[in-house]
Amino acid sequence: MGKERVAVVGIGQTKHQATYDGSIATLVREAAERALDDARMGWSDIDAVVIGKAPDFFEGVMMPELYLADALGATGKPMFRVHTAGSVGGSTAIVAQDLIAAGIHERVLTVAFEKQSESEAMWALSLPIPFQPPMHAGAGGYFAPHVRAYIRRSGAPDHIGILVALKDRLNALKNPYAHLHEHGITFESVKDSIMLWDPIRYSETCPSSDGACAMVLTNEKGGDEAAAQGRPPAWVLGTAFRSEPTMFAGRDQVNPRGGQDCARDVYAQAGITDPRRDIDVAEIYVPFSWFEPMWLENLHFAAEGEGWKLVEAGVTQMDGDLPVNCSGGVLSSNPIGASGMLRFAEAAMQVRGQCGEHQIDGVRKALGHAYGGGSQFFAMWVVGTEKP
Amino acid sequence: MAEPDVLVAPSTIEYPFRRTTGPVIGAFLTALREGFLVGIKSSDGKVIVPPVEYDPYTADALTEIVEVGDAGEVTAWSWVAEPLDGQPLDRPFAFALIKLDGADTAMLHVVDTGGDPAAIATGMRVRARWKPPRPVGASEEDDATGAHRVGSILDIECFVPEGEN
Repeated sequence: MGKERVAVVGIGQTKHQATYDGSIATLVREAAERALDDARMGWSDIDAVVIGKAPDFFEGVMMPELYLADALGATGKPMFRVHTAGSVGGSTAIVAQDLIAAGIHERVLTVAFEKQSESEAMWALSLPIPFQPPMHAGAGGYFAPHVRAYIRRSGAPDHIGILVALKDRLNALKNPYAHLHEHGITFESVKDSIMLWDPIRYSETCPSSDGACAMVLTNEKGGDEAAAQGRPPAWVLGTAFRSEPTMFAGRDQVNPRGGQDCARDVYAQAGITDPRRDIDVAEIYVPFSWFEPMWLENLHFAAEGEGWKLVEAGVTQMDGDLPVNCSGGVLSSNPIGASGMLRFAEAAMQVRGQCGEHQIDGVRKALGHAYGGGSQFFAMWVVGTEKP
Repeated sequence: MAEPDVLVAPSTIEYPFRRTTGPVIGAFLTALREGFLVGIKSSDGKVIVPPVEYDPYTADALTEIVEVGDAGEVTAWSWVAEPLDGQPLDRPFAFALIKLDGADTAMLHVVDTGGDPAAIATGMRVRARWKPPRPVGASEEDDATGAHRVGSILDIECFVPEGEN
């Protein structure tokens, strides 16, 4: 943390959907305008813009930030692009907060997006590479063996993944911005959905979404002003990144060291000694249902091998003592580049009491989490009602 | 020690994309297909061609589409003596910035002077040479031939010195 305190004073997102009928510029613009409106600011109030998205290859627009400067009011201002695969939405928010924490800027607009309808992101990362066997595994095929390893190690029963999927999809019904609104979903319908990559069923995977998320971050003065006007900010209590190589001997993809260290770091900054007790609500990046119990362990909410028990006991339900992904999470909306920022933004919305039907009462500290690549990039922040 | 046997493998990446253009860029492409050109009025009243969705100075959303001429003035150019595969013309031509009548910005296109580099100059007048209209009932395969207008900047085959077409 730098010496300046950082406040989240504006948050906006688009309605996430299979095909957003507009340009990429219009998409990011819509989220950014909502964040500015929420912050009671205009384009001229912003000092710098930090934008993130997953690989450019997903839309086929190389370096889209060049073409998005006008749409984001960045003329004459610094504009930065961040890229850390699926965790990028979180990393982007952290870069924006660093610019304020360092005292370089007072008000920063940060935006993240993906427009999956422009192509097929599922296969865009499975292109043939010379001298490597083409697997066409897709993200699900890559992660499924690690999920299977988790089940074997922990002895978790088969229905845990179904419970997570059902919870997140039901939570999404309370979030008007969520992509999937499956009113008829049941335990049986998830269980009966096609097995794509054993043990991952179709209904336990995230959708392909178009969407964007934006936040306005300010220094302490901006946060105090917003509070004085009756719009309490979310104060950033800690931020952390970690990276690890795709492969090294002894790497544990079920419970990666990078994620464990990242969580310890962000908790230490936020004064959290017992995350299960001190965190009121968490938005965790769960693109396949089984990643909820896996990340509960990686994030130290449960001991190793015990995460699935929290799921089974209903701890992560909205009425549990650690609600996870009240927004419906990545399982209900996955505009990839924006998905991490949505986790960070939803955590801040919970702190600010902006979540409407999926609001948890009395949230004082919330965790936003994102991961990307082959479980190798991690970005996290803790936000709260009180200044650090 | 023997030279190592260094293997080389080809790597061709092909992947399909589709672009949702929205009402501003979409209007420009639709106009091209119909055989005319449009720009957009910016906050200071200037006409930008091709149109942009947001004002470069104020960041306001722009909506006022205006038709501009299909002739204009060359403001800068570069001669291509030996065209490469895939370039718009297969004979010597100029890449040129052309400020269309009614526009306040110049647009990049190509000028065909019949191969004569001496026949292009800054300030000269040029006019669009359009491809023929899209036949009623044309298929996607027909569109891919490039023989008629489809809603692309290449619906203008090239610009030629005014008076030549």
